[in-house]
Amino acid sequence: MTQDYIRRREQRTGWLLAIPAVLMLLVVYAYPILRAFGLSLYTENLSTNLEAVFTGFDNYVRLVLDGRFWNSLWNTAIFTIFSLVVELVLGLGIALTLDQAFRGRGPVRTVAILPWALPTALIALAWRWIFNDQFGVWNDMLINWFHIIREPVNWLGDPQWAMVGVIAADVWKTTSFVAILLLAGLQSIPQDLYEAHAIDGASPWQSFRQITLPLIRPQIVIAMLFRFAQAFGIFDLIQVMTGGGPGGATEMVSLYIYATVMRYLDFGYGAALVVVTFLALIFVVAIATFYLSKLRTATGVEQS
Amino acid sequence: MSRLPEPLFSRRNWLLCWIRRIKPWLPGLPWSLALVAFTSVLGYGLVALSQPRPVTITFLVRAVEAQQLQILADAFEAEHPNIRIEIEEGPNAADAVENLYTTSFLLGDSPYDLVYSDVIWIPKFAAAGWLRDLSDRVSESELSQFLDADVAAGRYQGGLYRMPFRSAMGMLYYRVDLLEAVGLDAPKTFAELIEASKIIQEQTDAPWGYVWQGRQYEGLVTNFVEILAGYGGFWVDPNTLEVGLDRPEALQALEFMQSVIRQGITPQGVTNYIEEDSLRVFENGNAAFLRNWPYVWAVANQEGSPVQGKIALKPMVHGPNQEAAACLGGWGFGLTQGTAHPEEAWEVVSFFTSRQGQKQFALEYSYVPSRRDLFIDPDVLKKFPHYEQLLAVAETTVPRPPVGQYAQLSDILQRYLSAAITDQMTAEAAMKAAAGESRRVLGRSAQFSSDPLTLKSAIAP
Repeated sequence: MTQDYIRRREQRTGWLLAIPAVLMLLVVYAYPILRAFGLSLYTENLSTNLEAVFTGFDNYVRLVLDGRFWNSLWNTAIFTIFSLVVELVLGLGIALTLDQAFRGRGPVRTVAILPWALPTALIALAWRWIFNDQFGVWNDMLINWFHIIREPVNWLGDPQWAMVGVIAADVWKTTSFVAILLLAGLQSIPQDLYEAHAIDGASPWQSFRQITLPLIRPQIVIAMLFRFAQAFGIFDLIQVMTGGGPGGATEMVSLYIYATVMRYLDFGYGAALVVVTFLALIFVVAIATFYLSKLRTATGVEQS
Repeated sequence: MSRLPEPLFSRRNWLLCWIRRIKPWLPGLPWSLALVAFTSVLGYGLVALSQPRPVTITFLVRAVEAQQLQILADAFEAEHPNIRIEIEEGPNAADAVENLYTTSFLLGDSPYDLVYSDVIWIPKFAAAGWLRDLSDRVSESELSQFLDADVAAGRYQGGLYRMPFRSAMGMLYYRVDLLEAVGLDAPKTFAELIEASKIIQEQTDAPWGYVWQGRQYEGLVTNFVEILAGYGGFWVDPNTLEVGLDRPEALQALEFMQSVIRQGITPQGVTNYIEEDSLRVFENGNAAFLRNWPYVWAVANQEGSPVQGKIALKPMVHGPNQEAAACLGGWGFGLTQGTAHPEEAWEVVSFFTSRQGQKQFALEYSYVPSRRDLFIDPDVLKKFPHYEQLLAVAETTVPRPPVGQYAQLSDILQRYLSAAITDQMTAEAAMKAAAGESRRVLGRSAQFSSDPLTLKSAIAP
């Protein structure tokens, strides 16, 4: 009885203490999301003189039939998946290198984080010139140094190469972020695990597979989660480098939503785009979180 | 009562008496003090109000231009001591400034009294009800002194929403020396341009013939509008809402863009070029022809430029039996609906767009004026001899469709043009799809308009 009572009282105190935080979350997150959903049921644009006219699920019907939206969603998925995979592989490589003891490791670690610290719009501008067909450094290197190509390649003006170009720029910028996160994970692994494993006769590859990878998996998932959220909402890099072109080949969802709301003043439809994108995002994040919590129990990081 | 009564008029007693007498009034003391303070403040305030107080007129401008406009603002303030001008510096990209204006109007209570507006914002801003009609403030005879297209671009639904300040138009720059070297005249038609480019590429060291802007952005549309009009076609007829993108002229225009790339007259990279990139190619002496805006003249002719003194400009090339066309750009002033000082704001607009204001601005920063007679003004011509040619270009300007949904229409066209010139689609398929989507956007807007005629009159220039 008493224990029950104490527990109930503690619960009540707990809720009381949580109220400010919950209120904050409601105001900052729940309200805008619900508001966006509400708005998506109305048509509010220039043809209605910016008055909200209730049109039910019309905006969603229009969305289903909107090739440009699905195309931008597809582009976003391609961009996200490829940049994430490349960043993970490169980032892990860099983290493993920086984890080794070598002379000048401190400065190298600092330099490695630099791209991450630079403003995206600026580096995007730089990449635009690097990939310029006539004056770009990249074409010059490929032609005159490596002799891989003879004619300059039209990097950002060609639909396939443009996607490769923006992914390359994004990888350059954010790999260091992944590397730093993974490095933190690597440094939390006790050395004696490797020693014991080596005494058991394990090769370096085996200890990498059986110790390193499982133990930094939480960091990998977190890094990927961060990167996923950022890559999915990528805007400035694309806007500056290609503006979504050529022919919409690099248009991301965020660019389309921005144009719909800010340039077309089509608020109802823009809200519908936001809601659908939000649901897609939530879906992926939910899967990742579920996976993460399963991992935590499995690896015994948090076995409470 | 062992104490003796104190003398009635001793000092101490007098004080006590006084205190005792005012004691009942003491609680009211703060109130009376407040009353005194209030009346004096009121008095000062009334005096201050009776003096003319300076009114501040605020507007937002791209940072580069904000500094330039300041000379006119200073001149204005010297003449009008009761009006201050505050020019806010915005980002240098025009669409970013447009978004800042948009946001301020959407949130209500915009801090801006004026909008320094690009030609293509006007229909949207006017349709959204953010601008005041200026028709009553300016006479037709006054307007007739401006370039016709610049005035037309400020009209929407029978109202006038923008006073032209500085104009801009697309034109063809060419290398006089290269044409002389191969013994050709400046090209007039599309065919002649292609022909001249090929000969120059063969016989001189210029690797490219013709450079322009082909990235998926507004600039691509301005290029297309000129070529389209040069073939005698149209994009959207503002009177009938008819879309002309799947007509033969539009197809010819797009095929011209494709063919100059395919024939190696234009570098392939043009599909991601903006003005800057194409200017770089031309400026370095690597191309014979460049389609660009008026600012190029000053840049390409500056000290140390490889093409300094070797260039000339002319109206855009056109199709056989057709007229040349220049896409209209440029900036002007609109009065916001929410301004508390419309009269003072209009004073500012009148001053900036006056002959004197435009002349000063043109002479100082070599921007193109929007008043016709400034092109032949002796002072202007003395400094910029090429303005006579420029007037010839200015008379050929064509507007972009003055419809509220212009941004959508432009994006549709941008995407399909870009897809076609990067070989993702054939010209026919691209133009057919662009026309279909444009019709859908215009049709969707008609859906909410109770009277179809309102919509038609809504977009008549």
